[in-house]
Amino acid sequence: MVSPPSQYGIKYAVHIVSSHFGDLVAKVCECLLRRGALTHQNIVRFTEMSASQVKNCLLVLIQQNCVQAFSVEHPGGVGDASRRSTEYMALFDNIIHRMRLPKFVAVVSQELDKECVELFQGLLQHGRLTLEKMIDRAKSGREDCTAQDATRETLFKLVNARFVEHCPDPEPHLSPPSEEGAPARKRTKSSKVAAEPETLEERVLAAAAPMEAKRFLIMFDTATEEDGQKMGDSFLGVGEKRKSDALESDKELGSEGDRVLWRVNVQEFMHRFRHKACVENVRERLDGGAAVALSAMLETSRSMEKKVKTDISVPLSINTIYEEVMKGEAGRAMTLDHLRASLVMLGCERGADESYKIDLKNIIEQAQNEEVESVVLKKYGQNAYRIFRLLSKANRLLETDKISDTAFVDKKETPKILFRLWKDQFLHMEKVVVTGPRQTQFLLWKVNKSTLWPHVLDEMYHAALNLNLRVAYELEKENELLNLPIEKRSGPLEKRYNRIRTVRLLLESSLMKLDDAIMLFHNF
Amino acid sequence: MSKRKQPDSKVPAPSMTEQEKVLYNLIQSKQDLGIWSRDVNREARLPNKVVAKSLESLLSRGLIKAVAHFQSKSRKHFLASEFEPSPEITGGKWYDQGSLDTEFVDFLKGQCLKHIRNLKIATVDTVADAVRRSRVLKVDYSSEDIGEIVGALVLDNDVIEMRSNGLGEFAAVPAGGACYKCRDATKEPRVGAMASIPCGVCPEVARCTPGGVVSPATCEYYSKWLDF
Repeated sequence: MVSPPSQYGIKYAVHIVSSHFGDLVAKVCECLLRRGALTHQNIVRFTEMSASQVKNCLLVLIQQNCVQAFSVEHPGGVGDASRRSTEYMALFDNIIHRMRLPKFVAVVSQELDKECVELFQGLLQHGRLTLEKMIDRAKSGREDCTAQDATRETLFKLVNARFVEHCPDPEPHLSPPSEEGAPARKRTKSSKVAAEPETLEERVLAAAAPMEAKRFLIMFDTATEEDGQKMGDSFLGVGEKRKSDALESDKELGSEGDRVLWRVNVQEFMHRFRHKACVENVRERLDGGAAVALSAMLETSRSMEKKVKTDISVPLSINTIYEEVMKGEAGRAMTLDHLRASLVMLGCERGADESYKIDLKNIIEQAQNEEVESVVLKKYGQNAYRIFRLLSKANRLLETDKISDTAFVDKKETPKILFRLWKDQFLHMEKVVVTGPRQTQFLLWKVNKSTLWPHVLDEMYHAALNLNLRVAYELEKENELLNLPIEKRSGPLEKRYNRIRTVRLLLESSLMKLDDAIMLFHNF
Repeated sequence: MSKRKQPDSKVPAPSMTEQEKVLYNLIQSKQDLGIWSRDVNREARLPNKVVAKSLESLLSRGLIKAVAHFQSKSRKHFLASEFEPSPEITGGKWYDQGSLDTEFVDFLKGQCLKHIRNLKIATVDTVADAVRRSRVLKVDYSSEDIGEIVGALVLDNDVIEMRSNGLGEFAAVPAGGACYKCRDATKEPRVGAMASIPCGVCPEVARCTPGGVVSPATCEYYSKWLDF
């Protein structure tokens, strides 16, 4: 279930939009984030901006995939017909993703060629592009058709790798929840009936999402060739078998092939980052061998996983895992027995015919625990660290003396530590009064992750905002120096210049590391 | 169950005044928890001077003893001499004179860690055996006691707890049994993202807001952090 953004989540998102698109766009965005989905009219009312200003801001936000429009039916009064209105919803996650676009580029750079990276960067810059626009960008004055072919091939590679996808429906119609008994035609295959009622955002995104069969489908338009040559049969990409009775007519698709809007498929990157976080956690917590084994399992099973947040990995045979292990340099020296020992250390569940699967949800939880424990250690010391870890592992209420005994913290010191942790919202506390000959009060303590984790995530957004603001402040302070030509920088100025470069590097790398933690606590 | 030494049946029962008997019976009835000196007056319902004199007499004859409560050294509990004071008064077996014997606990942790490292995959029993065989301790500690120390090492994150599958390096441990392995001591523990920046451990973060009295632009912790 998608939770509404927290206080500092909203502030951080607004800051991002303001930095990238200006204050007016940020004002519209903030209005939607704080008030939920609104009509154009209501946005105008709440922001006190003009109608055209709001419209332009919405266009920018929609173009950049930060807002999704949808239409809803409002029942009319007695004797009146129902009316349809368009509402706009801010997509908090997509706004936050804007801070990690360089990470997306890094992934594409590692796997594909320079041309793919350039096209991908174009998509990031513009938010969404048609093939026609991509070709125009690539042509840059060239008159021949090589740019066209090259761009198609590049797009094909990006789509094939799932880095790029069809844009969603620009304005899906949202039926009232009671009418959505049968699966909507545009629901993706991966969506399922949730145990909890879906939020409005989940319903809108599900309604807008293209069918899974269409999401990565490329149909190149052959009728609009500028040189008049026919290219031959239209081209189907990405391993999707064409089922003519399941798709719309060739003519309809073919004529719009070049005008299909494409955008970055964020889900693919989140999927990879989740796997990467698991591997890095295991490398740090266990050893390199375990990391190699897990990396091989996840690399093999990624395409088989139905969703980003898969709890248990797809079962794989030892031979399949070993085959993947041997592909990498780190795995070539690994024997089969060593792999088996690593899989045991990972806590993999062994199935029939020596197949293995692993609880990824557990690894993510361990990574989350370690992040918070690291803060407790640095802020409150080793004794508090032991106490917090005890309560986190126990996952139930424990009495003060019991905590003191098990964590080997002096009984006089334990209550002080517990109160400090409680005051700073790391712990939940309950009082139990036992009546008897004498009334005795016991204090029970617990790490309540259902309230602590959202608090930690909000603090992370706060910290990320602070890092951004401090970078801006430091650069503003040295603005003149940064604009000075290199030949005029010498002596103390050179020293100050080097300092500001180091400051910027430290702050920005800290922000990227913090962003990894934000993804972890957002559970990708 | 209270720890109680068996009284010597050959020693004749000591003679006591009536008041002393009342006090002695009261104290003895409290077994290993004893009774706080302040509560003696209230429960015995004897004049204060009589209580004080009688207690002194019982103490000097070794029939009762006074034990300091770990919470406050000035708080005394009286116990009949045949009882070992309960951990609720002393703090427990790891306490010495009212405080956790940190030095001894750290020493024992170091010993257990050394043995786990040597054993590669260890159980509580194998560590307890190794500690006993090393003869570094004057007093025998049970496997349960050693298990508590190993538990503390897990909480310190020096040792990882795992479940054996009974195969390979885990062959000596029955499948499903708890076993322990040392964390790689050559690796520096990773500092988390939040712990790496001032905001993550800031005591003023709740008051911090852009443009506020406490803000990222004016933050002294940031200035210190960026002062290379």
